[in-house]
Amino acid sequence: MNWIRVRELVRKEFIQLFRDKKNRPLLIVAPLVQLILFGYVVTTDVRDITVGLLDLSRTPESRMLIDAIGGNKTFRITEVTERPVDMDQLLLMRKVNLGVKIPPDFSVKIRKGQTAEVQILADGSMSNMAAVRISYMFTVLEQFNNQVIRELHPVKMSYGKADDRIRTWYNPNLDSRNFYVPGIVAFLIMLLVMLLTSMAIIREKESGTMEQLMVTPLKPLELILGKTIPFILIAQAQMIIVTIFAVFWFDIPLVGSISLLLVATCLFLLSTLGIGLFISTISTTQQQAMMTTFFFILPFFMLSGFVFPVANMPKIVQWLTYLNPLKYFLIIIRGVFLKGTGLGSLWPQFAGLLILGLIVFWGSVNLFRKRLD
Amino acid sequence: MNLIKIQAISRKEYYHLIRDFRSLYLAFIIPLLLIFLFGYALSLDVDNIQVVVVDHDQTDLSRDLIQKIGASSYFHVIGQVADDRIASRYLDDGMASVAIILASGWTANIRADRESQVQILIDGSDPNFAGITRSYLTAFMLRYNQNQLLDFLNRKGMEPIHPPVEGRIRVWFNEDLESRNFIVPGIIAIIIMIVGAMLTSLVVAREYENGTMETIRSLPVPAAEFLIGKAIPYFIIGLIDVLVSILMGQLLFGVVMKSSFWLMILASSLYLGVALSLGLLISSVTKSQLVANQIAVLITYLPSLLLSNFVFPVENMPGILQLVTLIVPATYFIDILNGLYLRNLGLSALWPSYVILTIMCGALSVLNLIVLKREGL
Amino acid sequence: MASEAVAVQNLVKRFGRFVAVDQISFSVQKGEIFGFLGPNGAGKSTTIRMLCGIITPTSGAGHVAGLDIFTQSEEIKHNIGYMSQKFSLYEDMTPFENIRFYLGIYSVPPEKWKERTHWVLEMTRLENAKHRLTRELPPGWRQRLALGCALLHEPQILFLDEPTSGVDPITRRHFWAFIRQLTTTGVTVFVTTHYMDEAQHCDRVVMINEGKIVVSGPPSRIVQDMFPDRTDADLNDVFIQLMTRNRS
Repeated sequence: MNWIRVRELVRKEFIQLFRDKKNRPLLIVAPLVQLILFGYVVTTDVRDITVGLLDLSRTPESRMLIDAIGGNKTFRITEVTERPVDMDQLLLMRKVNLGVKIPPDFSVKIRKGQTAEVQILADGSMSNMAAVRISYMFTVLEQFNNQVIRELHPVKMSYGKADDRIRTWYNPNLDSRNFYVPGIVAFLIMLLVMLLTSMAIIREKESGTMEQLMVTPLKPLELILGKTIPFILIAQAQMIIVTIFAVFWFDIPLVGSISLLLVATCLFLLSTLGIGLFISTISTTQQQAMMTTFFFILPFFMLSGFVFPVANMPKIVQWLTYLNPLKYFLIIIRGVFLKGTGLGSLWPQFAGLLILGLIVFWGSVNLFRKRLD
Repeated sequence: MNLIKIQAISRKEYYHLIRDFRSLYLAFIIPLLLIFLFGYALSLDVDNIQVVVVDHDQTDLSRDLIQKIGASSYFHVIGQVADDRIASRYLDDGMASVAIILASGWTANIRADRESQVQILIDGSDPNFAGITRSYLTAFMLRYNQNQLLDFLNRKGMEPIHPPVEGRIRVWFNEDLESRNFIVPGIIAIIIMIVGAMLTSLVVAREYENGTMETIRSLPVPAAEFLIGKAIPYFIIGLIDVLVSILMGQLLFGVVMKSSFWLMILASSLYLGVALSLGLLISSVTKSQLVANQIAVLITYLPSLLLSNFVFPVENMPGILQLVTLIVPATYFIDILNGLYLRNLGLSALWPSYVILTIMCGALSVLNLIVLKREGL
Repeated sequence: MASEAVAVQNLVKRFGRFVAVDQISFSVQKGEIFGFLGPNGAGKSTTIRMLCGIITPTSGAGHVAGLDIFTQSEEIKHNIGYMSQKFSLYEDMTPFENIRFYLGIYSVPPEKWKERTHWVLEMTRLENAKHRLTRELPPGWRQRLALGCALLHEPQILFLDEPTSGVDPITRRHFWAFIRQLTTTGVTVFVTTHYMDEAQHCDRVVMINEGKIVVSGPPSRIVQDMFPDRTDADLNDVFIQLMTRNRS
């Protein structure tokens, strides 16, 4: 193992990477752009539900209901229509999230002590959002009911009421950004490292310099190290930049230990580099390398619990996620950022990363060596 | 417009693709993978929420509450534990998402017409999930309390009281509220971007890197013929992918288009055109496959995924980003997809999006021609 | 034996059912310019690759610089220099950077780097272009640089695979003059080429066709043996004669 040879390879790799002027900004800009995109875009919080109203009753009671809805901060009454057909059009054109139709007999029924029906029309296009909006609307209706009952029957209200204290752990404000942004760090590293590593080796093959290298005393392991170390360094640098940005711009809490994070990144890189190496071994052109990288990244990304919860997946798929290094890395990242958990709770993930990483990396190195012959 | 020249260029590209078997194969496999992932494995719907209960009270009323929770279609009580700490361990380890703790003496309080506390803990790690869970729980508790109240009033000897208002829900467009119904069609937008833009982004750059661009420049091939010739094979692949996706969506997942199939093909073709011109433009400008690929991911794939109102609602985004979504082609295509699949709309309602896609395709092609002409084609 | 830089016996290389190199045997003396001639696809590149340790022979025996090509291929690499047809240099790096890179790869002791760099730049006359990108240099200069990079670790044997393809006549002449001068320092030069007229520069040649050796020896003697009556015959004529003879 000659470290000078490795050093020269690493230096060459850096020269080549940074020589192309177009590449330079990309290495910094790309991760940051993605961070910003994900930070601002990826949120499934429900706020500002737009409501269209159709009040066919026009009585003090119906206006009370409308005030209850409008007064609630989550809702915003943006359209008021006179005819059912206008309401239909609102929904069809997706101008409102919810439509509320108050029937003509609304106040009559209430005053008679019967139940009045209110129609809630929901745009189901984004079903997860729709589910929450409907729930919120129900809550408002129930609150309205309580209010009316209290007014109609002003009795000393002490009854067996279940006072619910709903507490949310780990992310009390349910700020989805806290959830997604740390994950971006993981995803970016994975994408760039896999892509750059595989492309770097392929370019060597395509330009013929690989053959030249094989004539030299360079050992396969030295070649692999020379090709992977630059990207380990770049990935760590990007991670630090992105983390700093995440903490200071997005106010993501960073409660846990940063050194734990760096160790986890190294372990994660074992798998990522291994896969990049594998891709370079089985590909002959850059186009293939790129497509194959994408082919791997997609399921790793989707089945990691980053956006879509693992618990929602069919059981077989859940088992498959145990093979996904991104899953473990994400748990560690979120744990370190949000919960401040340490090795005590996170050791299974570290173990998973280590085992996966060693198997993948060792397997890929062997395959690479064999192919070199 | 010399068709023979176009044909020659297409054929050359076609040979490249056929020989580069792996790229071709991936161009078909990746879409299938995406459809499968999004149709089968991934869901944003929240049901089957795992609940762990600690019942320190153990009376028929506390058991009644627990039973009511379990009866709800959203919740699934996985079991009871004796200790609060064990329950929080369940949350920590992810075995349950909700812990409900009833203190002893709970029933006594209720029976004595006093407020009684119910502790509910939600795992907030996944905000999408936690938000929905929380809203379900809140609604559930409100309804429970309301029944308590009515019950109380009725006991106090008044005439039977009914809840004043009852909400009747009608869900439009995605009646069974399955996330699959809007995600699977939307995936087609992503697929087209991958095949149409990402794949083609390497095409012209490759020629530059191999040195064959020099040769092409010396040939009597006008820029327009060159572009069209390059695009055709990828257009065909893209269209095949679209057809397969529609078919798979329907056969495997029951996601059916409500509106016209031909409108879908028209929209897909327009959007493919935009993707292709974008990919080729990136290729012509960057002249390096590595750089082209990274840029392609940044400006074609990611915006289609994030800034197109596909999964993440545009209305939630800061103003600047909302403006940005207006120049993302996927936004218009997703709107068309939503219209065709869910809203059963036709050209009369959707024509603006069609027009915008056409304009985008045209503008990008013109830009491409300018760039190529400047390079001496 | 000790004076042989390269010696192979019954070397065979099979790719599947295709026999690229079929039982060839030859030896190269130290300090000589040895030519390996033949048409495209004859097995020249395959042979040179086997000698350099890039591919493993199917059977046979051989040694390069006194080291066995089967068991000691790694050590062989320390003692040889190789220049391929494509002058595989890093186009997006400068000559200076390319030189530095190979210095490191060949584990040249760091104290010698300055001197070796200077030597290469001198010999290639690239001193003034050392910070220009390699891809911007004319092919002749690139050839010189590739040659320099193959020599900077002072190998005993230099393997050149089609070194003068695509290079103008003047550069070619300089090239051969340089090679000749190199051999006076004891370096052995092993060249493959399909330019028969260039083979005149070699001390001894071997002609290979379809994986087999068809003739070997000093160029002038080969020509004389084949065309004893002609005074204007050259290796080209020998080659044509041999190839057509094979065909019939």
